[in-house]
Amino acid sequence: MSDTKYKLYTVYFGVIGILATLLGLADILVQLGISGGIESGIMQISGDDFFRWAWGGLVVLFGGILILSGCRDIKDMHQFSKVLLGSVMVWIIAGCDIFAMICESIPAPADAPGFLNSFAGFTGGFAPPYAPAVILLPFTFAALLMYYTEGYAKED
Amino acid sequence: MTMSESERWLLVDSIAGQVISVGEYRQKIGDVLGELTIKPLTGIPVAFAVLYAFWSVFGSFAGSLFTDGFFVKFFDNYFLPWIQSAWPDPASIHYFLFVGDPLATNSFEAFGVLTSGLFVAIGVVLPAVFIFYLMMSLLEDSGYLPRLAVLVDTVLHKIGLHGYAIVPTILGLGCNVPAVTATRILETKKQRFMMMTLIAIFIPCGAQLGIMMEVLPESVGYVMLFLITGYFVFGYILSKIVPGENPEILIDVPPYHMPQWSNLSKKLIVRTKGFLFNAVPFVLFGILLVNLLYLGGVIQWLSELLAPVFVTWFGVPKETAGALVAAFLRKDLAVAQLSNIAMTQYQMISSVVLISIYFPCVATFVVMLKEGWKELLAAVGVLFAVAFVYGGIIHAIGILLGLA
Repeated sequence: MSDTKYKLYTVYFGVIGILATLLGLADILVQLGISGGIESGIMQISGDDFFRWAWGGLVVLFGGILILSGCRDIKDMHQFSKVLLGSVMVWIIAGCDIFAMICESIPAPADAPGFLNSFAGFTGGFAPPYAPAVILLPFTFAALLMYYTEGYAKED
Repeated sequence: MTMSESERWLLVDSIAGQVISVGEYRQKIGDVLGELTIKPLTGIPVAFAVLYAFWSVFGSFAGSLFTDGFFVKFFDNYFLPWIQSAWPDPASIHYFLFVGDPLATNSFEAFGVLTSGLFVAIGVVLPAVFIFYLMMSLLEDSGYLPRLAVLVDTVLHKIGLHGYAIVPTILGLGCNVPAVTATRILETKKQRFMMMTLIAIFIPCGAQLGIMMEVLPESVGYVMLFLITGYFVFGYILSKIVPGENPEILIDVPPYHMPQWSNLSKKLIVRTKGFLFNAVPFVLFGILLVNLLYLGGVIQWLSELLAPVFVTWFGVPKETAGALVAAFLRKDLAVAQLSNIAMTQYQMISSVVLISIYFPCVATFVVMLKEGWKELLAAVGVLFAVAFVYGGIIHAIGILLGLA
């Protein structure tokens, strides 16, 4: 039973790792001008900001590679640490994207009379489409779940 | 009382038995993560992520939220029209000095002590400095900074420094004044001199970064690229020509821990207060002095005098001379002044790099003087030579790329 659980974790993080690697690569390729931008469902890669898409994409790519390198034999603490660190890198990019949304949604638009945005305007700032890291974010929380259920949190 | 050798050893054993406890070391996941952030293969990508977060939060908080979100609107839509109409006699000298251009529609271009001065100091620089110091304190208190020092140790050894040189370098991105003081953590005179000089030349302060993001948001990356390249190239040259030693050091790397809010807030208050008391008067006084120099015709005279160097050698408009005068007082003010001069994007990048490398602001100058007048004179000599050579090289690169 226990081995099955770790196999499931391995497969799960393998898929997340591949997705993160591919999406990080897509961020960079769009920024390099290989494609004019990607929009699929609630996901969007616009590629018009070098810092966000090239640097940020590189971090997501590295995060994916780290998750992939750690997902085999995930029962081992050293391997799991790589998965956790790779997930943290995705959290950093997604967290910065969400923080940027918050900062842009609080003030009223430039042509509006007041200083603070209306409630509808504020919540509208969080509407899709989202960057790939934000979409990956909830799926990488599985690393946090494993951190607590495997007893690592108690040791720390 | 005299003790024999065996009695002394017995006493040592007895004390050691009372104070030392021996246990089995068991590696925890925090230790493994700590190791992973030091090993180059995994540590460098993590450093990329941390620095990304640093600048992303800096831009969102200072740029999108405070400066563009609130202060631009407040100063341009409310404060500027009010002071332009309330201040008497728009044709007078005092109006020019304190309010600036009576027809200006934004506080950046008005260039009066109470318009541009307050907008730059409070609207642009204060949020930038606040968030910079918050992020910096988080890195310090979480235990990441020493790991970054270990990671960059090999690279910094190439230019005659060691890993801990990253501390004054990053501090310099907030304000060059504490950064110059922090060079004391380096061991030898040679390293301290090199670090102080490199900070004064190639590290733009948080105030300047904030203004750069406002004046040329799409080109800040290119400016930083020129500055980082210069930091390493001239650092390497300095390490070869400055006599002295570059000793190895041992860095104590503490475990990761959650930063305490009480410590963070204390650091933040002290550092932000320091900025408010030290920098704001310089910004206001700087605008006053530059306006007086304009009135006295000194800036125009300097522009004409330096025109051959500026236009031919650096490839920037001769009017940049005025901004360079202001740069001695405050570099952020000088960059703000550039926004009023008509020039191409490459000329703007060259001008901002020139302002960064040409001379430390007066506050940094004073702290450098405290470190020794001989060192200061040598540093000033180096920075004039670097500004002249590097300014010419940047112009040459622009010509080669067809941009200048």
